[in-house]
Amino acid sequence: MTGDGPPNEQVIFVTGGYDHTIKIWQAHTGICQRTAQHTDSQVNALDITPDKQLVAAAGYQHIRMYDLGSSNPNPVINYDGVAKNVTGLGFQEDGKWMYTGGEDCSARIWDLRSRDLQCQRIFQVSAPVNCVCLHPNQAELIVGDQSGVIHLWDLRSDHNEQLIPEAEASIQDIAIDPEGTHMAAVNNKGSCYIWALSGGVGKEPTKLSPRKKLETHKRYALRCQFSPDSSLLVTTSADQTARVWETTDFTETQILKHEAKRWVWDAAFSADSQYIFTASSDGVARLWNVATGVVEREYQGHQKAITALAFRDEVRVSS
Amino acid sequence: MALYDNQHWLLSHIRDSFIFTDDTSACEMVMLGEDLPKQLKANGVLDCYPGMEDSDDEDIYAMAESYDIQMDMEFGHRQRSNTAQRLEKMDLERKQAAEIKHVKWENKPSTMSVEIQSELFQRKDFRKKKETKADKRHSLLAEQLEKCPNLPQNPFTDYAKFDGSEHIGTPAKKYRIFMSMLPEEQRMYPMQIVVVATAKVQEFIGLICYKYAAEHPDNPLKADITKYGLYITEDDGEVDWDLPCLDPRETIAKFGFTCLGLKEMTPNDRARHNTVVPKTVRYEENPKGKDIEQKSVAEDMAMMDDHTTAMEAPLYQLYRVHIINKVRAKAEIHLGISGEKIEIDPVITGKGAARFWNRQRAVSYHIDNIAWCELVEHKGPKTTFTLVYTSHANHLEFHTGSSGQTPSLQQSTSFKNHDFEADSATAEEIVRKINHILEIRSGTSRKEYLAQRERKATRRKNFHLHR
Repeated sequence: MTGDGPPNEQVIFVTGGYDHTIKIWQAHTGICQRTAQHTDSQVNALDITPDKQLVAAAGYQHIRMYDLGSSNPNPVINYDGVAKNVTGLGFQEDGKWMYTGGEDCSARIWDLRSRDLQCQRIFQVSAPVNCVCLHPNQAELIVGDQSGVIHLWDLRSDHNEQLIPEAEASIQDIAIDPEGTHMAAVNNKGSCYIWALSGGVGKEPTKLSPRKKLETHKRYALRCQFSPDSSLLVTTSADQTARVWETTDFTETQILKHEAKRWVWDAAFSADSQYIFTASSDGVARLWNVATGVVEREYQGHQKAITALAFRDEVRVSS
Repeated sequence: MALYDNQHWLLSHIRDSFIFTDDTSACEMVMLGEDLPKQLKANGVLDCYPGMEDSDDEDIYAMAESYDIQMDMEFGHRQRSNTAQRLEKMDLERKQAAEIKHVKWENKPSTMSVEIQSELFQRKDFRKKKETKADKRHSLLAEQLEKCPNLPQNPFTDYAKFDGSEHIGTPAKKYRIFMSMLPEEQRMYPMQIVVVATAKVQEFIGLICYKYAAEHPDNPLKADITKYGLYITEDDGEVDWDLPCLDPRETIAKFGFTCLGLKEMTPNDRARHNTVVPKTVRYEENPKGKDIEQKSVAEDMAMMDDHTTAMEAPLYQLYRVHIINKVRAKAEIHLGISGEKIEIDPVITGKGAARFWNRQRAVSYHIDNIAWCELVEHKGPKTTFTLVYTSHANHLEFHTGSSGQTPSLQQSTSFKNHDFEADSATAEEIVRKINHILEIRSGTSRKEYLAQRERKATRRKNFHLHR
């Protein structure tokens, strides 16, 4: 069925890693449908455009976009002019612009609407940017850097704020749940900080109030993601596990652990928050059932570590 | 390049190069008639290195001197030069680049009006709940997963990563594979499989199985791929039975054949490439190997210990032991041992020491007067040992006594001994320590004692013989 329906009626699962390739999978069978070339660079981050036409890959000194509809193994658009590694990227929900963060100590906004209406914006910080996250209000960008500072950049007013949850610990990833009630940030010590969010609508500024500090992992944390229904948080780490937490009280509900025992670099929830995809250093991506902790599917084909994944799903209309 | 001043060699080399690299073989036609270098040499025009003359008799041999020319198996196929290859690659890259839209980052800070900015970065009221009929508990993925709950798992997925068709930059090789183990009607057409060049034959077999199983879900393939072998086949898929299967442990790129057949290994080949054995052998060997290793480590450690005690032997050490005197009475004494001398000091312990038969004089022996030391017997936890020394006045050195004189050899030596008792560990340690010192010193008393013992032993032997 996949691929046959209209473009917005499909499941897209993409992985990329150290073998300089991007693989597009049939999520429910585990079959690799296509492999695209990501020449000369590892894949640091992946995301799919809101219209599901393109997949964007962040690499060394560029962002490349690949057409999901064709079998072209080469990118169709190449964004360059960035000095170092691009570490994170994402899209405004209508696909008007793209945001990226990179080791050149800056976060950028790329105008995607047309070439003439270029509205490129840059936000400079003092340390390499490790992660970027867009607030659900689509107008505030949260930037986490190597020195441990979290920057809140208001895109409309250009106003910015900073907070430092822990000294001498780099921020590895930041996530905000779709309902905009919580923000999570993980660091290289394996800790996860949770803030409760308020405001952020209209002219009201977004307010952050510290909610909790979780000792999520014993080693380097790599990624945190909230589930689409905002009920769960997943954190991944160099300690070879991914852990799932309830957002009501932030208790651990599931440990996703495989005997392969390698770093878990990235994770994504399915639209119904029932499944989690993970990307791991053993070159295998896995689909886990959150309730049971069982591996439902394995995606094998990468020759080296998988460091990034992107997933798009559809919520079904109940019949 | 010592050869480059050799005119004859250079000329031959140029000639050979023309003949060998010209596909049209026109050069050969022209040049074959006259061997210019040979003629010139014969005329004495060209200098030639000694030893060259003999080789000129045979053309082939002479050509072998031109080592830059690689005699390829495929005549008529000329390798493209590096430049040509690079140019083609650049051309391809340029073509690809033309298809890619490039967007370069430009810093244009103030080109945008406030209206556009506020329109682009409009805050969305995300808190407003959308009224949707969507069932949040059911996604398209979940639906698809439910549709194929018992997906026939491809047992060969571990080998999927050896697929070379999806990689640019990694060397890969393309093969035509006949599934020779299948019934005839199913194996008419070969599969085209590209494998990464670094894969082992075994891994390539896994990849073939993976590809086949992916296309034919109800396949008769066995999960244990070690049962299969790759055989060299004709273009029509007929297996060449005269040749054994490719060694499963070798790298696939080593073999130049492009047409291969997959079938079950013949018993002969299985015996030859017994793919199961190495594993089990490895498992068996491991603990044994470890044992040996540990043993040798233990031996080394023991040797080290021995060296340490030997090195520390001359260092002064005081032991508390019992001396057994002539009437078998025991008295506690301090036995001080160093590289220079051995001292015996009575331990003063209240009343007992007052008894006269127990009294032991403080005495000191120069180490050169010590002849022997050995364990005598074990009595439960106690061990007795004896210390043999020369009693000659010259050798003896009382506590109060004078300097240690060098022992004189002309005097016949009489040996005396002290017996001591201590717990076994201490006794052994003392004996070892003293013997280490004696070995290092190798004094005259010791030599004499050993000589005397030997004499006694031979006498006894003689006695036995003559009886």
